[in-house]
Formats: sequence, structure tokens, C-alpha cells
Amino acid sequence: MAERKYTGGAEGMKILDEFLLKIQKPSRYIGGEVGAVIKDKSKVDVRFAFCFPDTYEIGMSHLGMKILYGLKNAVPNYWCERVFMPLPDMEEEMRKRDIPLFALESLDPIKDFDFIGFTIQYEMCYTTILEMLDLAGVPVLQSEREGLAPIVVGGGPCVCNAEPLADFFDLFIIGEGEELNLELMALMEKCKKEGTTRQEFLRRAAEIEGIYVPSLYDVSYNDDGTVKTIEAKETAPAQVTKRIVKDIDKMYAPDSFVVPFCNIVHDRAVVEVLRGCIRGCRFCQAGFIYRPFREKSKETILTQTKTLCENTGYDEVSLSSLSTSDFKDIEGLLTDLTDYTSKNDINLSLPSLRVDRFSDEVLKKITDVRKSGLTFAPEGGTQRLRDVINKNVTEQNVLDSVKIAFEGGYTNIKLYFMLGLPTETLEDIEGIYNLARAVVEQFYANPNRKKGKPVSVSISLSTFIPKPFTPFEFEPQLDEESIKARQKHLISICSDKKISISWSKYNTSLLEAVLARGDRRIGKVIYSAWKKGCKLDSWEEYFDFGKWQQAFDECGLSMEFYANRRREYDEIAPWSHINMLVSREFFIEENKRAHEGIATPNCREKCSNCGVTKCVGGEVCRAIR
Amino acid sequence: MPSVNTRVFFSKMDRAKYISHLDLNHCVQRAMRRSKLPIWQTEGYNPHTYVAFMLPLSLGQEGICEAMDFRLTEDIAPEEVMQKLNESLPPDIRIISVKTPNYKNTDIASAEYRIESDVNIEKFRTFTDSEQILTEKKTKKGVSTVDLKPLISELSIEADAITLRLPAGNDFNINPSLLFEAFQNATGEEISRLRIVRTKIFCADGNIFS
Repeated sequence: MAERKYTGGAEGMKILDEFLLKIQKPSRYIGGEVGAVIKDKSKVDVRFAFCFPDTYEIGMSHLGMKILYGLKNAVPNYWCERVFMPLPDMEEEMRKRDIPLFALESLDPIKDFDFIGFTIQYEMCYTTILEMLDLAGVPVLQSEREGLAPIVVGGGPCVCNAEPLADFFDLFIIGEGEELNLELMALMEKCKKEGTTRQEFLRRAAEIEGIYVPSLYDVSYNDDGTVKTIEAKETAPAQVTKRIVKDIDKMYAPDSFVVPFCNIVHDRAVVEVLRGCIRGCRFCQAGFIYRPFREKSKETILTQTKTLCENTGYDEVSLSSLSTSDFKDIEGLLTDLTDYTSKNDINLSLPSLRVDRFSDEVLKKITDVRKSGLTFAPEGGTQRLRDVINKNVTEQNVLDSVKIAFEGGYTNIKLYFMLGLPTETLEDIEGIYNLARAVVEQFYANPNRKKGKPVSVSISLSTFIPKPFTPFEFEPQLDEESIKARQKHLISICSDKKISISWSKYNTSLLEAVLARGDRRIGKVIYSAWKKGCKLDSWEEYFDFGKWQQAFDECGLSMEFYANRRREYDEIAPWSHINMLVSREFFIEENKRAHEGIATPNCREKCSNCGVTKCVGGEVCRAIR
Repeated sequence: MPSVNTRVFFSKMDRAKYISHLDLNHCVQRAMRRSKLPIWQTEGYNPHTYVAFMLPLSLGQEGICEAMDFRLTEDIAPEEVMQKLNESLPPDIRIISVKTPNYKNTDIASAEYRIESDVNIEKFRTFTDSEQILTEKKTKKGVSTVDLKPLISELSIEADAITLRLPAGNDFNINPSLLFEAFQNATGEEISRLRIVRTKIFCADGNIFS
């Protein structure tokens, strides 16, 4: 074999050609898809490697990446390229041949880029981030990097508590990235011209609203392990406030996607309809950190749908938001959209429809297009518990909805519940079964039901994970023994063969709970677990909980401290220097109401003064109009 | 509805060699939708653009004479069809010509390949000069032993490239990589670079498939 150094580009392709046929699904490692942006390197001033710390199939399904990719590449002298985590067969060959992690457009090593950016969508990807940096040949620890570039930047929902990742990142983007990404790239362009140091770049970046530079903050701890102080250094602000896009109707939206060659998880056009959520379910982080509630206009959504379908050639389009049925004129939107999609042989799929706005008309429109199984998420088994978590869905809502669904010919219903919710008792567990039974009975109450095709109700159980920036950030996660006892109880009372039960693995939920509310000391654990070989932790076949346990032991930290402890209202949270626009007072108030079993009306019915309206000048929250 | 049978010849080079045959089908379907050309769709519950590929190309191999057929529901100038498809296809798949089909895919009998590789030319020449070249070939029924020697209808071994002609078609097809596998197995020689490009497709009557 010829000894050549991998430097990317066309020469790099020749080196890849020597082994790619040995690799599973090679097309995901070489780019060249329709919609991929290729630029002339000599005319580019700032290069950004946009990394998704998971496989191509997962990462390519993510809308946020497509938005930021298009937005950055729309600037002529900026070039944003895609990077994903190679699976072990590919990674092994790359390491054997000394091929550093490269970007899919140019095939150039990303260590030579100006930015290496990660979108951090879930906690279980943290070790994958370290693996990707290491494979790229970039020091994993922020403190060991030299020279102006590459700057390692993180964004996405997990960075609302970025503390466990503080050792590995130069800076974080707090909030929405549309404006911040461009501002950072402009700063880099300037700093490159001036020839400034990395330190100077970071110092200036910290002055931009929404940029969090963790190395500019000192954290101290109390004897009991809780945070004592978080102090900003130099010019860094005491509190970093998240950025939002005020007018999402005029905001950049991609007019095309990179269309993959191989199948990916969500292989379709996706159009965002709204941001934020009016619901306020107390366990749901997304429901709070993406506030304020903003909608695009019906006309914008329709235009974007048409443009995207025409430019990608997709014959399936899906609407994306936290709760699409909360779109104010959902009936009008679906009428206009189905008018276009049915004429053009395009399937319209609508995830995240809420039970209580699931009207006859809406259902008819989706069944016109495609009939598949239906999923509902009552989350809690009894009305009492649903009031505690503020999931404002009644049993009658669920039954009314499944009635319509059954009449429409559906026979498979999936019900999502969480175990270990605050105040949960065995009565609530029994409520899960009772609700599933009621759904089955609803099926047989329908005289026009399909004969010969039995109803199937699947109960899917996950373990409640308390997340920062929610009213439940103070709550303990239930220990393994109690969770298992509750699962067993449910299985023991379930005697109906039409009802099936599945559940998630406890260890994954425990680790997720630790990482979600962890402090900076967790960084050492992540580093140690990664050193032991942890990566792709969200994949069951690669997840090794034993290694994580060893890492915690070696670092002298306990998972219980982070996951299973009730936190006092006056405790300084590791993320208390981050302002996500929703006030801590509101979360405390909501936590108290939860324990009193009082539900809070949704934002459209009544503003609950979460703080977001005040913070952004009262101009942006569109929940009440 | 009028329908014009159309055959396009295209190249599938460079990065596109890693697109599997099944994925190529999806890829072309989407390109057709993007091109907005009036291409006949199948009728039924799930209508889709009808495209037939004449001879699949193995994953990892390149081609400069690949062919696919479809029907246009309006009369459109070949230049326009070519331009619109090229605007819609990935950069490494290029339409070369747009024609009216002359032959059926069942008329295909053989194909010529150009192979660039770091194979030891002298050893390869000696190997291909032997009386028999036995190798195992996977078929739908299982593994069978074939003698490649009588199946090679043309062979020229030059320093920069090997030109090879082998049976091709949907019923009986010999993948050129088989010869190189047989060579490696017989001699223990290693080949690290093997670039195979399908350059010509022939019909049973000896003419180029058109």
C-alpha cells in the first residue's frame, strides 16, 4: 500500500477508494449528493464543519442542521460542510490508515477548518463528540488547543446546561442559532485578518449576546457537593441570555435539502410551522426552552412546502413543530396543504398531533393520504397525575380521539406513559392499564369496526428524567428498584392479550438524568468513560453501562447525587448563569402547583407569566392574540 | 395518452460508484420529479415514475455507457430532456445521450471494461494465459464453479490499463472483479487499487447496445 498522507479533496478520494467497498453502505461517507454545496476553497474565508454526533442516517434527518447549513452557505465566502460519526467498521479503517475525520463536501480533514460545531440534541451523544474530536486529530480538551482555529462550538437543546461539556468546548451558542452562527463566522473572518489569538477571539465572542465561553467562568462547590459560586471573568457577562429569532415568518428557511442516496431515518421534506409551545407540560424541557411561541403564516408554510418538494424531488413532506395541532389555523393550513400535496402525489405526514385538538376534519385529511398506526401520549395513568404533570388531556379526550380513529379504520394504537413521575402511586400505574382497557372497549363499541382485524394497543413506558429549565428540575429520579417494581405491577395486572407493554432500559435513563443536570465535575467522568471506549451510547449495541460506572467510581462521584436527590429551591443550579428567558420563580411556582395537583392553563387560554414576554419586550410571544 | 419510449445513456463515475443499484433507482426517481419532465407514472395505489435500468452496475464500479428507459407523455426535444435531467441529477451521474430504443435489454450479450489497477502486469499475463481459470461464482441457486477462460472474448493487457470483454446480461453476467479475485487467490498477489469502468455494452448480433 502506498504511504500517502491524507489531505482530503480528490487525492483523498483515491485513498478512500482503496477500502470503501469493504465498508457497509459506503455512500454515506463520501458526499456528492444532490443539494450538497461545493465551493471554491480559494474564494472562501471561513470554513465551518457542522458535526452531528451520531450516524449519517440520524444526523441527516435533523431539520436544524439543514437550516443552518443552508443559511451559512448562502454567504458566498463562508463554507459549511457536514460531518457525521462513522460506524466502527469505517472508523477502524480510518484509524488504521491515519485518515482524520473529514467533511463530506470537500473530503478535507476538519482539523483545518475554522469552526468545528456540534449540534447536541441528546445527552447520550457526549462521548461520541469526544470520539469525533479525537478522530479529527483535534485535542479533546479545550485547554490543550492552540492557535486561533479550530474553535470547537456547541449548540442545541442540551447546551442549556452545558456544564458537563465545559472542558471540551471553546464556546456554546445559547438559544437559536440563525443569527449567532453568522455573527461568529463574521468575528472569525475579522480575527483571521487581524491575526488575533484564540484567547482574544473567545474574549470578543463572549461579548456577543447568547455566546457562552465556559473557560471564562469559575465554579466553586460547597462541602455537600452542591454549587457554591459561579463567577464570570474578564468581560464575560454574569448571565448569558439565550438568543431567539423574533420574526420566524421572515426567517431563513432552506429552499432545498441535501438529498441522501441511502435511506435515512426521516427521508422526506420537512417544513417548520411554529416554534415554542403553549402547553407547559411540567416534565418537558422543549416546552420551556424554545419559548416564546411564534408561528409562521399559512402562506409562508405553503410556499416553503412547494419550494422544498420541487427542489428535492421528495414525494413525502412532514410538518415540524412541538405541537402542530396548536397552529392557530390548523384546519385552513391542512386544507391548503392537502390541496397541493394530493395534486402532486405527495404524502403529507403530521407528527406531534395533540389528542385534544384531534378533530374529525383533521383526521379525515390525514387519512385521505395515508393510513398508519396512531400514537397518543397521555404520559400519566390517572387524571390526578396528569394534573400534576400539567398534561391537560382527559381520558374522555383520548377516548373521543381513538373513537374517530377507529371509525377511520385504524386498528393499532400506541400509548406513551412515563414511570416515576413526581407523586406517582400504584393507583396511577393501574390507571395506565385501565386507560388501555378503555381504548380496547372503545374499539368494540364501534358497530362499524373492521371484522377479522383485532385491535392492538401497545403501552410504551419510559422512565421520567428530570431536566433543567423545567418545573421538575428540582425532582429526584426514581431509583431502579422502585421503577422495576412498578413495571412488574403493571405487567402482573395486564391480562388482556390485545394490550402489549414495552419499556425503556433504566440504566440509559439514569445516565441521561445525571448528564442532564450535571455540573462541571461530570466532565472528568465523560472523559474517563470515553477513554475506556464509550461512544455511540444511544445505540444499545454499543452502550456499556459498566464502563460508565467504573468512570464514576474513579472520579469519586456518585450518580445518585445527580439523579436521585431532591434539590432545594434555593440551591444554586449548575446552569444558573444561563438565562433561557423563562424565570426560575416561575419554575418554583409551577413545582409547588404540581405538588398541590393544580393544572396551569395553556398560554393561549391565559398567560401564566413565565417571564418570556417580559424578557423579549412583550413583542414576540404570539400565544395570545 | 401519447407516450414516447425514451432511452438515455449516462455515466456513473467517481463518488456515484458507491450508490447501490436500489439507491440509484430512488435517486433517479427523485431527479425525474425535480426535472418536472412529463414522465409516465405507474397507475395504482402508489403512483411512481416508471424507470427501467437496462443492466445493473455493481457497487464500486463505474460506467460510461449505462442505460435506462422511461416514457415521455409529451414530445420533447432530446436536448431539453438531457439538459433538464442533468440539472437534476447528482454531479457524478451525467446524461450523455437521449435516444429511441433500438434493442431490448434481453439482446444484451456482453460488455467491455477498462480496468486500472496496481496488479503485477507480468504475473497477470501469465495467469490469464493458463488453460483454465476456475473460480467460484455465486448464483441464485448457490455457489458454482465456472471456467472464466472461454468466457473472456477480448483481453488486452497494457501497462496503464487492462481491457476486458465478458458475458453480460440479466440472465448470465460475469463480473470482471471475479477474474481479479481468481488471480489473487491463485497467486497470493495483493491488489490494493482496482478501478473498473464499464465502457461498452454489446448485443448478441455484435452491435453496440443502442
